[in-house]
Order: sequence, then C-alpha cells, then structure tokens
Amino acid sequence: MLVKAPPEAPPRPATPRRRRSLLPYGLLLPAAVLLGLVLGYPLVRLVVISTQRYGLRSLFTGTTSFAGWDNYAAVLGDDQLLPVLARSVGFCAALVLGTLVIGFGVALLLQRLGRGMRTTVTLCLIAAWALPNVASTLVWQWLFQPGYGVVNWLLTQVGFGDLTQHDWTTSPASAFTLVWLLVVWQSVPFVALTLYAGLSQIPRSYYEAAALDGAGPWRVHRTITVPFLQPILGLVTILSVIWDFTVFNQIWILTQGGPNDGTTTLGIWTFTRAFSGNNFGQGAAIAVVSVALLVGMTAVYVRRLVRSGEDL
Amino acid sequence: MMRRAGRNVAAAFFCLVWIFPVYWMVLTAFKPAGKILQPTPQFLPVDVTLDNFADALAKPGFVPDLVNSAVVVVAVVALSIVVAFLAATALTRFRFFGRRSFLIGVLVLQMVPVPALVIPLFLGLKSAHLLDTLFGLILTYVALVLPFTIWTLRGFLHGIPVELEEAAMVDGATRGRVMRSVLLPLVLPGLIATSVFAFITAWNDFLFAYVIMKDSSGYTLPVWLVSFSTSTGTDYGGLIAASTLFALPVVVFFALVQRHLVEGMTAGAVKG
Repeated sequence: MLVKAPPEAPPRPATPRRRRSLLPYGLLLPAAVLLGLVLGYPLVRLVVISTQRYGLRSLFTGTTSFAGWDNYAAVLGDDQLLPVLARSVGFCAALVLGTLVIGFGVALLLQRLGRGMRTTVTLCLIAAWALPNVASTLVWQWLFQPGYGVVNWLLTQVGFGDLTQHDWTTSPASAFTLVWLLVVWQSVPFVALTLYAGLSQIPRSYYEAAALDGAGPWRVHRTITVPFLQPILGLVTILSVIWDFTVFNQIWILTQGGPNDGTTTLGIWTFTRAFSGNNFGQGAAIAVVSVALLVGMTAVYVRRLVRSGEDL
Repeated sequence: MMRRAGRNVAAAFFCLVWIFPVYWMVLTAFKPAGKILQPTPQFLPVDVTLDNFADALAKPGFVPDLVNSAVVVVAVVALSIVVAFLAATALTRFRFFGRRSFLIGVLVLQMVPVPALVIPLFLGLKSAHLLDTLFGLILTYVALVLPFTIWTLRGFLHGIPVELEEAAMVDGATRGRVMRSVLLPLVLPGLIATSVFAFITAWNDFLFAYVIMKDSSGYTLPVWLVSFSTSTGTDYGGLIAASTLFALPVVVFFALVQRHLVEGMTAGAVKG
C-alpha cells in the first residue's frame, strides 16, 4: 500500500505570532544587568573567594593567593560542621513544618468563619506580618526577658513553676524554641493568607457536587482541596524552605549563635567565620556549601516546575 | 451550631496569641518608665505617657537614619517595579531565544541564601566604591527583590488576555501606548503586591545595611533600632517606642493595600 504523499505544506498562519525583534531583549536588559551585577557576579565571586586565602589583609591590599581546596578541607574537616549542618537542616524542617501546619490550619479556619470573625483574624495576621523583622525580634526579646518578661510571668501563673527569672538564651534547646516561636509567628501570616486566597478560588460547585455524591469531609479535602491547592502549596513550601534555611536576623539578634554555638546555623557560621574570624575564604566555602545544599533540596521542585509547563 | 461556636473559639484564641506581641509592644511604648519593668505585668493601659516616644526621638541619629530609610525605600520600590514590569512583559508577551534560561536563572537566584551573598557583595561594592553609599544599598535591595517581583508579575500578566492588547494595536495604538493604557491598569493589583514586598524588604533589612553602611551617618532605621541594645543594658521604654514608630509606616501601607495584596500574591502563585 502506498503511503499517501504528505499534503502541501500547511498554509502559514495569516499573521506570524511575533516578529523577531530586539524589543524583548531591551525590556529584559535592566533586570538582567541588575541581577547579573548584584546577584550573579557575587555568586561567581563567592566561588572564587572560596578557593583563595582571603583574610583581613587581602581586604585592604586586594592581594590574595590561590588556596585550592584548602578552605573546603578546613570547613569539611571542622568538628563544627556536622552539628551545624544537622542544626540547620533540622531547624529548617521544624520551622517549615510548624509554619505550614499552622498556616494551613488557619487558612481552612478562615474559609469556614463568619464574615466578622474572618476580618478580625485577617487583621491580626496582617498586624503580625507588617511588624518589621527587627522590631518583632526586639519585641520578642522583651516578651521573654528574664525578670520582667510577660511570657515568663504567664507560664509561672499557669503553673510551670517559678520561671520569672528564666533566661531563654542560656540553653540551646530553649534558645531554639525562642527563635522557632518568633519565626513561625512571623511566617504564618504569609502562608495562611496565600493559602486562604487559593482556597477561596476553588469553585463552590465542586463542593456541591461532592456533597451530592455523599463524600465525607476528609474525602472532599483529599480529592478537591489539596489537589486544587497544589501549585500554591508547592510555592509556599519552597519559599518557606528557602527563607527558613537562611534565617539570619532573628538568630543573630536573639542569640548571636550561642549559647556555646548551640544555635549556630550555616548562615551564622558563614558570617562569624568571615567577619568575626576575618577568614573570608572559609566563610565563602561555607556559603558555597549551603547554596549547594539548598539547590539540592529544591532541585526536585524546580525540575518539576520546568517540566510541567511548556509555556514556562 | 456547636461546630460554629467551636470555630469561633479557635479563631479567637488564635487572634489573641497572634496579636498579643503587637499589643504588648504598643502598650509598653505608652507606659511610664516606672511601670515598664514590673515583676507583675499590667495588661491594660492605665497611666499613658508619651515620654518613651520623646526619648526615642531624642536619641541621636533618628532623623538622618529615617531620611536614609525613606530614600532607600522609595527608590527601591520605584526601581524594582519598573524593572520587574518590563522584564515580566518581555517574558509573557514575546517568545525569544533565551527566555527559558532567563526564567530558570531567576528561579535559581531566588534560592541563593542571602547571608551567603554578604561577603562577595561587600567586596564587589568595595571595589566599585559603592560601600557606605545609599546608592549601593539601593542597588542591592532592588536586585534582592527582583526574582520574586519578576516571578509574581509574570504570573499576573499571564492572566491578562493578549487579545486586549492586540485589539488596542489594531485600533492604532503604539506598543508603548498599549503598555501604558491597557496593560498597566490591569496589572495594578500585581504591582501593588510586589511593591509591598519591595517596601518590606528595603525597610526591614538589617544585614546588608549593617555590613554595607559602615559610617554611622549612613545607618538605616533597623541598624539604629538595634543600637538601643548595648552591652551596658537596654533602654526598653525607648526601644519599644522606637520599634512602634518603626512599624507604623509598614502597618499603614499594609492597611491601605491589604485587599490587593492577597489577590496579587495568589494570582502570582496560581498562574506561576
């Protein structure tokens, strides 16, 4: 049997969708230049510095010598490495989990509240969210202050024993609790409001249809709510992972990485190694390791995102 | 009925926990010095005074640092919106070589932990003689917010049908005119959402301001705030009053744009 000859080339669409032009490049130029100079170049420089002997002297003279893998060897061989890594990852996981669980819970609650109560909750969330990072960290210090902190007073009244003089920053565990409470308190509003906005976009008819079919609340949740929210959940999770892995201000102001390095995460370690220890090379090596870790942790998501839309 | 009541109780409890730190801050700011450090806290405003605010404002550096912060914030918001809008337009309205790579690049840059950038950025700004300048700080913040703002605006522009622009062009509008009169009004909620993000980043940042601005005349407010805490002790009245003042512009800004904010973020997320 003869294969039919291919038809004539299909007629060209009446108007070509876009003519080739330099315009898009022009529009992108400012963004590209800024991203390249302020994020891209430093990123490359970071990798370069991590292979150099770069101390205080180099900072003034501008001269450095090549160190090869020395900085990495020093960092990877450091006794602190494993505890810092475990702390960073564990802390990030605890923060993300806390934020997402509470945030999702509040979003579901918002969806089911009456109008007045919903506005009240939204306003509370926005007030907490709007409070500048440094201000809320300082307020936190004030809430948990030994001697006069209102939280210690409250815990004492509720019956946890006399905690009025308790200093939260003297043990690593309670110092971490302090930071955890703060960061979760700060990050829940973004997550809750974003997820709520997503929830409110699910068409009512989906739920009505499910109710007609006799689906229970758990089933509805699993087959409608969660799949519909997937893109937003993904985005919120990835942003939380990125932000929580790199939390700096809160730890630095509350504990400076102490007590006894008990709250030193990769970010803090980078900073103290570079700026207090004046060893920029090793600081850079730690930073490169953390970038690699974060990219590794988020690679799965990025890959899925890149594959999902041909329209990316 | 019962379930409804249960939800309201849960919501009320949540509100209480979430608003308390803010309430406590404002309350403390208005308390007289003698009533701040009390072993038994006082939960309602009884003696109200403005002394703490007066103390805070009298602390050296407030006015110049406030001016620095204001200049930086305005510049960052304006610049980042323009730059991100142009970029997002290019990414959603044109297909061109390198589009995908640019997007992936943006996504990866979003992932670089900010503290990791401190060292090379410090060195880069140093060799560009931009250390200790507000200009250097502004450039830094604009670049820091760009990945997020480009991404969000892109999601927004995706949702606006191209046909609207094509119709305007058929009617004889130039491309610039289309961007101004068709695209811009439609994308306004997105621009507001991203401007809030830029505003907050620039207003709040402590780390870069701390490292880049070495000269005390060039501090921004977050660095000024931290100076209330010294090794000899903390002036809590002044500190808390100052924090309240510091938070005020953001709260006002948030309240003004609140409705667009959530809408803007979701559009960016869903269609992203």
